[in-house]
Amino acid sequence: MDLSWLDAAIFAPLVGAVAVAIVPSRNLSTLRLVALASTIMTFLLSLGILVDFEAGTPGFQLTTSLSWIPEWGVGYKTGIDGVSLWMVLLTTFLMPLAVLASWSITRRAKAYFIFLLALQTGMTGVFSSLDMFLFYLFWEATLIPMYFLIGMWGYDRRIYAAMKFFLFTLVGSLLMLAGILFLYFAAGDNPTFEYQALLGTPLALDAQRLLFLAFFASFAVKVPLVPLHTWLPDAHTEAPTAGSVMLAAVLLKMGAYGLIRFAIPFFPDAARELVPLVMTLAIIGILYGALVALVQKDLKRLIAYSSVAHLGFIVLGMFVGTLQGMSGGILQMVNHGLSTGALFMLVGALYDRRHTRLIADYGGLARSVPIMAGVFLFVALSSLGLPALNGFVGEFLVLVGTFFGYRWWVIPAAFGIVLAAIYLLWAYQRVFHGEPATEANRAMADLNVRELVMLAPIVALIIFIGVYPKPFLDRIEPSAERLVQQLKQSSVVPGGGVAEGP
Amino acid sequence: MRVAPEYYLSLAGLMFVIGVVGALIRRNAIVIFMFVELMLNAVNLAFVTFARMWGHVDGQVLVFFVLVVAAAEVVVGLAIILLISRNRGSSDVDDVNLLRW
Amino acid sequence: MEMDIPRIELAGIAPEIALTVAALVILVVHAVLGNRFSTWYLPYLATLGLVVAGALAVIVWDVNDLQLSGMIALDNFATFVKVSLAVFGLLTVWLGRDYLTRDRLEESEFYALVLFAVAGMMLMAAAADLIVMFLALETFSIALYVLVAFKRRSTEAQESAMKYFLLGAFSSAFFLFGIALAYGAVGTTNLYSTGPEADSLFRFASAGPSTDLDLLVLAMGLIIVGLGFKIAAVPFHAWTPDAYQGAPSPVTGFMAAGSKIAGFAALIRVLDAILFPLRWDWRPLVIGIAVLTMIVGSVLAVVQEDVKRMLAYSSIAHAGFVLVGVVAANDRGVSGSLFYLATYGLTVVGSFAVVSILAGPGEHRTRLTDYRGAFYQRPLLAGALTLFLLALAGVPVTSGFVAKLVVFGAAIESGYWWLVVIGVLASAIAAFFYLRVLVVMYMQEPIEGVEPAPSGGWLANGVVAITAATTIVFGLAWGPLIDAAEHARFFVAGG
Repeated sequence: MDLSWLDAAIFAPLVGAVAVAIVPSRNLSTLRLVALASTIMTFLLSLGILVDFEAGTPGFQLTTSLSWIPEWGVGYKTGIDGVSLWMVLLTTFLMPLAVLASWSITRRAKAYFIFLLALQTGMTGVFSSLDMFLFYLFWEATLIPMYFLIGMWGYDRRIYAAMKFFLFTLVGSLLMLAGILFLYFAAGDNPTFEYQALLGTPLALDAQRLLFLAFFASFAVKVPLVPLHTWLPDAHTEAPTAGSVMLAAVLLKMGAYGLIRFAIPFFPDAARELVPLVMTLAIIGILYGALVALVQKDLKRLIAYSSVAHLGFIVLGMFVGTLQGMSGGILQMVNHGLSTGALFMLVGALYDRRHTRLIADYGGLARSVPIMAGVFLFVALSSLGLPALNGFVGEFLVLVGTFFGYRWWVIPAAFGIVLAAIYLLWAYQRVFHGEPATEANRAMADLNVRELVMLAPIVALIIFIGVYPKPFLDRIEPSAERLVQQLKQSSVVPGGGVAEGP
Repeated sequence: MRVAPEYYLSLAGLMFVIGVVGALIRRNAIVIFMFVELMLNAVNLAFVTFARMWGHVDGQVLVFFVLVVAAAEVVVGLAIILLISRNRGSSDVDDVNLLRW
Repeated sequence: MEMDIPRIELAGIAPEIALTVAALVILVVHAVLGNRFSTWYLPYLATLGLVVAGALAVIVWDVNDLQLSGMIALDNFATFVKVSLAVFGLLTVWLGRDYLTRDRLEESEFYALVLFAVAGMMLMAAAADLIVMFLALETFSIALYVLVAFKRRSTEAQESAMKYFLLGAFSSAFFLFGIALAYGAVGTTNLYSTGPEADSLFRFASAGPSTDLDLLVLAMGLIIVGLGFKIAAVPFHAWTPDAYQGAPSPVTGFMAAGSKIAGFAALIRVLDAILFPLRWDWRPLVIGIAVLTMIVGSVLAVVQEDVKRMLAYSSIAHAGFVLVGVVAANDRGVSGSLFYLATYGLTVVGSFAVVSILAGPGEHRTRLTDYRGAFYQRPLLAGALTLFLLALAGVPVTSGFVAKLVVFGAAIESGYWWLVVIGVLASAIAAFFYLRVLVVMYMQEPIEGVEPAPSGGWLANGVVAITAATTIVFGLAWGPLIDAAEHARFFVAGG
């Protein structure tokens, strides 16, 4: 068996989950340490991926192919290209930090860490599956741990939020399942679920349209694109800190990733036809998310809506059909993961201290917690795209790409950036400046060592990508180029291709 | 005498329909069960007619199977109904309403 | 003068004979030896009978024959169903043993009736003649009527038995009338032709447009209605929730698993093998039933407050999903339906095993509210139930997902993608009520001052462990089982 670092990184968290399961549940600190150690181990393993990965080639690397259910053409096939590489690394990088952000979880911590680690396996698997059956397995496997994380450790309306999250995602992914099956049988006499074998399956245009919509339904819910976004503010707001972090940083990216990895390459003709629709939805998302974020009273909700806006940017870049747009969109997935993850961690830290998420309950914190205020401002600036920080690189590329593809669409997109600056800085101002709302704010403790350790790597990466994005773009661009080409190809057959009844 | 089988079959069909309607609208378990028996007898009549029509005895043999099975059903069914009416002094299905959707 | 006697070959019904003998032995031995040690030797005898029956079914794998004057089909299709039934029977017997001990119910009758029911169900799968099918149907139905009423002193059980009985007898009459009409149309009730002269439903149906098929089509409709009752398809489902709720949980699980696979085995043989040439006539009816069943089962399950009743509606919805595979009427449809029924059976027996343990003595705690915080009181059982519910919802890594995948795949292969879209939407609705149970078990606190139900005996726990293991195993390594299902072909004349 030829297993790569990738496979190790996928399944290491499961080993960690087993280890956590063995630890007696009253031993809280051991539980935490085991979970932390396992996520750090996974991160180190994933560095092996980075070392083995060859920059400059568009194809899949570190591939593993094992026979699984030959009767149905199901195999265990994994591999990554320049897109999934960064998604996998983002996951493994943020996971130890998410564990660090979970120190406030004291109730049923054992189950909590098991779910968190299972979630990691699901997420890593989604980004590295090259078999549709395997992909669907991991895709749904992220659903259940997240459902429990929100439902068991969330805030007041956690059950409502968990249900909504589960059902929205499930409806979408079941439609995708029907689509996968259709594709499976359309592929020819020797049906297979293998991703690369299914690429270029000839399909009639109307079948392509239906299938694209089936896949799109699933991914658009996950991204989320307006009007399918309504689960997101609830899930984000009610989830525990680590849940929000992983949800924003990685789970939403699964939707965008699915669009470029599956929806476009499988059905390029339908995708081309629907580009205006998708771009319109993306622009609506950018503006709507930003405007709604402006009026939020709840910090977590505000960040949730900012995610809707940011993901609109990412999708916009992916669909404009230029290399800059695609690379920018992909890089922006990483950037948004870092900055929004950090923002949720900071809000989590605030909540741990004052047990409220309402902006009105804060104010004037800059005096009592100067370090936290500084980090918050820094991350907010990264999120709104200040030059020399990571957000700038991604957003700039997306805007340039959009300009080359669809000139006038740049204007509403740029307007979205302005709005982002307003809502983020305004929120910063209301929380950290002005008069403290209560006495408790004056006596608040600043970031402790654990929280600093958890935020420092993110801050470092934000600066690194901002000043020197080359190592990232070098690995993204060949794959992005190929994805752009795939949008331009055609696999339509006039007439046939649709499975007919016997 | 030669008779068209349609007469017998129509009678069988009519008996069956009466049985169905009766079983659906009556509320007493015993009466419902009697209507079900009527349906079975309609089947028997149909079997005999068809056997005659085809000119072999297969259908008539099948009638015996039906009779035996019906008898077995009666044994179990009446025992259940008896159990209930002993407990509550009624075999009306509407009185039996602990279970509801 | 000499005469011909038919060949007497018993391989085709050897499992049924073994079960009947075992059941009679159980009754006699119990009558002779009395109650002392009966909790030990009776389950052993029943286990022995079922294991022997299963073994007798397995050894004729890959035999393709008609036996007993063409009354019994000896094919892999029947064998697959028989082996599944033997497994369901074993699990029911083991689960029932702890249940009977806990609730102090009569014993020997329970085991004997389960064995009789399994024998009837097995015969149902092997029947090559409509009248044998009818006898098999009645054999297992009558045994089940009594099993449903097994908690004799419980008014609920009596009521559910009565409803089950009345509707069961009612549906048998439909089935029988269908047989009579088929006999009238064809002149025989046999499904397969045994010689060049002999007539059969199959030969008649495939004779082409010159034959007058009206009567046969009508007969087919009535047979579908009759079997529709047994598989709990809408609109013939009215008995299901009542019977499932009132019956002892082990029996409920057995009904859901066994009754369904037996009814479907007959339905699949009749529709997908014998009346395949008439598929354009029966498909509209079966599609209508499938759509209604999926939607009504899923929607009504959402509003249930009793877990057994909810699982009853879920079982109705699952009948709809299997019907999608029947509609496909291709090789994948048949193998997919068999795979679905086998894995669903294991999962549903497991769920009712958990329900039966958590319900406590007398089975008083089956309401959803009784499950509050179950995870914190009985983490392993709640975890197993979670697994089963996720499997019923069709979530990956469980056998339920693969089952849906294969039947939906078959339907797409046949061109019924829109039926699959309805199916996936129905399963999304269905997911809602499985989630409700999870919410109650995990996200609500246990009720103060209420002691959790005593833990089940080692046999009941073993049943939960076995079914949980199979639910995972057939979700990940489903190759061998789907392979077996794909080899579960019907009898082919001259094949």
